[in-house]
Amino acid sequence: MKRRTFLQLSGMTAAGALLAGCQSGNEKLIPYLVPPDEGVTPGRATYYASSCGSCPAGCGILVRVSEGRAKKIEGNPDHPVNRGRLCARGQAILQELYHPDRVQQPLKRSGPRRSGEFQKITWAEGLSLLTAKLKELQQGQASDGLALLTPQLSGSLAGLASGFMRSFDSPHLISHEFLAPDLLRQAERQSFGQPGLPFYDLAETRYLLSFGADFVESHHSPVQYGNAFGRMRQGRDTVRGHFTYVGGRMSLTAASADRWMPARPGSEGALALGMARLILAETLYDKGALAANGLRPEELLVRLKPYDLPQVAVLTGLPQESIAEVAREFANTRPSLAMAGGSVAYQTNGLESVRAVHLLNTLSGNLNRPGGVYPAASANGPENSFTELRALVNSMGAGRIKLALIKGDPVHSVPPASGFQQALDKVPFIVSFSQLIDDTALQADLILPDHAVLESWGDVLPQAGSRQAVYGLMQPVVTPLHDTRQFGDVLLAAASQMGGAMAAALPWKSCLELVKGTASQLGHKKEEDFEALWVELLRQGGLFETKTVQGKGYRWSSVAALPDPARPKFAGDRKQFPLHLQVYSSTAFSDGRSAPLPWLQQLPDPMSTVVWDSWIEINPKTAADLGISHGDLVEVTSPQGALRLAAVVYPGIRPDLVAIPLGQGHKGGGRYARERGVNPLTLLALVEGDEQQPAWNATMVRVTRVSQKGNLVTAEHPQGSYRSDLVGI
Amino acid sequence: MSWLIAGLFCMVAALIAGMVLMYILPLDFSERSPVQPLIFSHKLHAGANGIPCLYCHHHADKSPVAGIPALADCRACHLYISPEAPEIKKLMGYWDRQEPIAWARVNNLPDHAYFPHMMHIRAKIDCSICHGQVAAMERISRTASLKMGWCLDCHRQHKASIDCWTCHI
Repeated sequence: MKRRTFLQLSGMTAAGALLAGCQSGNEKLIPYLVPPDEGVTPGRATYYASSCGSCPAGCGILVRVSEGRAKKIEGNPDHPVNRGRLCARGQAILQELYHPDRVQQPLKRSGPRRSGEFQKITWAEGLSLLTAKLKELQQGQASDGLALLTPQLSGSLAGLASGFMRSFDSPHLISHEFLAPDLLRQAERQSFGQPGLPFYDLAETRYLLSFGADFVESHHSPVQYGNAFGRMRQGRDTVRGHFTYVGGRMSLTAASADRWMPARPGSEGALALGMARLILAETLYDKGALAANGLRPEELLVRLKPYDLPQVAVLTGLPQESIAEVAREFANTRPSLAMAGGSVAYQTNGLESVRAVHLLNTLSGNLNRPGGVYPAASANGPENSFTELRALVNSMGAGRIKLALIKGDPVHSVPPASGFQQALDKVPFIVSFSQLIDDTALQADLILPDHAVLESWGDVLPQAGSRQAVYGLMQPVVTPLHDTRQFGDVLLAAASQMGGAMAAALPWKSCLELVKGTASQLGHKKEEDFEALWVELLRQGGLFETKTVQGKGYRWSSVAALPDPARPKFAGDRKQFPLHLQVYSSTAFSDGRSAPLPWLQQLPDPMSTVVWDSWIEINPKTAADLGISHGDLVEVTSPQGALRLAAVVYPGIRPDLVAIPLGQGHKGGGRYARERGVNPLTLLALVEGDEQQPAWNATMVRVTRVSQKGNLVTAEHPQGSYRSDLVGI
Repeated sequence: MSWLIAGLFCMVAALIAGMVLMYILPLDFSERSPVQPLIFSHKLHAGANGIPCLYCHHHADKSPVAGIPALADCRACHLYISPEAPEIKKLMGYWDRQEPIAWARVNNLPDHAYFPHMMHIRAKIDCSICHGQVAAMERISRTASLKMGWCLDCHRQHKASIDCWTCHI
């Protein structure tokens, strides 16, 4: 700063302070007009136990409420999944409640689609519009013209949604999420013959090998696994568990590892099988476990012949010594544990790669053992919801869908390569249940705004967060702020207005009644003490000590073929598009659903420290070749589209890989998310992998420098030197 | 020259005297006794009529904050008691507009100090020890410094805890 600027500024500051001193500094005390009912003492807080609805992990929360307003959220110490901890996204659901752009009452579209012009209507009008459309379909014998799209729901609400669609006689109920672990469920069924997801006993293991499973920031249950990881490292007196991470990008999880193995994208399965072959060849495997799973080592060794060390080293681009070293460490340390996750699963050979990791666990005897892997409770869900979505896209494109009910924001969170957005335009009537006018609601004809989580009744079966079945309750902690209604209540109201079979199939009057009905079947003895049990459940936030464990442990299925990952396929010509693109779950926004919350917008990314924006991570070598420096504006082109965003020169990524976080680039979603950053999903080409699973990390891109004005806002510079004295580079 | 020096001296003295006066006197614009949106007399309510403090500030014995009566509470009495007085008409005007009265806060502690009313009431500390002779005030004014030393003096005197964590939690 120049001397003259400094003097000017300090003069202005002094003058400002003098002016401010003349005004009265007194705060205002604003009393109630009418004192609230008994139970509210100003200044005294009440705590409610409930469940977080930000992601399927379903952590337990305690909400501090004073003067009838929710003030602070912390983790529930009694909840077995999160044990009193809570992530930033859980803390931030307060802002979902108080968001200034919430839809405060039902809206009807008054302008053209996407114009954002809506007209306020009453709930009676809104519901009659909905039921009129439903009746029209029913009378026209076209009940399959109704589609219901939801995120992957759990508990009573999932039952309600499927009951609604079944009783209406429409097959088009789609529960799709971009980041949902569909492929992992399918791999589980193919290897072990049972559906679901694994529960990793991370806290007790001594050697952890993660193939692209970013369990600290995303994966199945980040708070549970983050905590378990801490106990694995520091919870035991004599052992500090060792951790090796395999994956091309250094995520927050990878940065916590002892060893990072940046394998070539799509080669992780080959690496797992290479390690398996070495373990078999050096007879380091668990003989008892192999026999118990009906596997013969000699046969396996013959089948795994193509995966000898030099070949695997070529495929993965990793040195032979380190592969052998990790394989030996993994086999010689008991208990050990191998995990597989997102970045591996989203390759064309994802399913077989994940199964290769299953084989590794089977060989080392890690199944159903402390410090190993167990089948998780409440992990059921669709195994390929994307094919269902594609079937729906076809129906919508052909004009067979007349009415689409949409919970969530698929217009933002489904890659446009699926054709979903175009096909949705052909649906004559779209109903959105969004709380904000998000990308989907912008296209809707009718918005029936849902309650915030903190205003809702519900129940949650936490996804893959424990071996024991856990039942989490969600209760309203404040009176609803606006004239909104719970999604479930709207379905129930519509069903009761439809009458007939629908009203008979869904007899509940409200979500409260529905949830109470589910809770009454939780294995209590006498009918008369249910009210007492219910109060106790509400006090605790659910039923945690169920002692019901998934009875059947893992056993390698006798019909399962040995995993055999094919060479990965990629969309885009290598010459034109030389770089692999990886999109990954943002720590703050997940798939983008938390982007409207300003606390999360200003939460610096743990690796790049970027706030309020999108960026692309590029290795320094690649960046130097392309003439890109930190903070430059670059254009990323894929066979599917092109985007402009800022570059972050990041040493923690392979030179042939670039990565963009998900979550930004909304067209709606309130003042904090709108028109901020870019949505990398628009770059993704549709590549089908094993069993028609979508391979979203199989797109190749080209990066070119545009200008030096990337307008990155970071909390610090990863390389240490600033180009200017301001924060923005 | 001497005239000039004397004049300057007088000016400086007047300035200092003025500043001292402004600091000491409970003038309108000082934060010690701000003008309130309604001329409410504690002297009349608590003094002449002898209404106990807790009758209106009824959260003081069970909450960290003492609470100010809701507009509905004021109205409940004044529907019958001197409804024709100009200030009461002003009060009813607030009610008709359904607008709460934004009183100016007189006694305020910074956010990093935790002061629970109920503990002090339970310890039988009289309201006037901190709030002064409210029953004699037409307009409420702050009598205590509300500085940390002032808190500590009283805590020492009553053998209450002077641990940092007692107030700074």
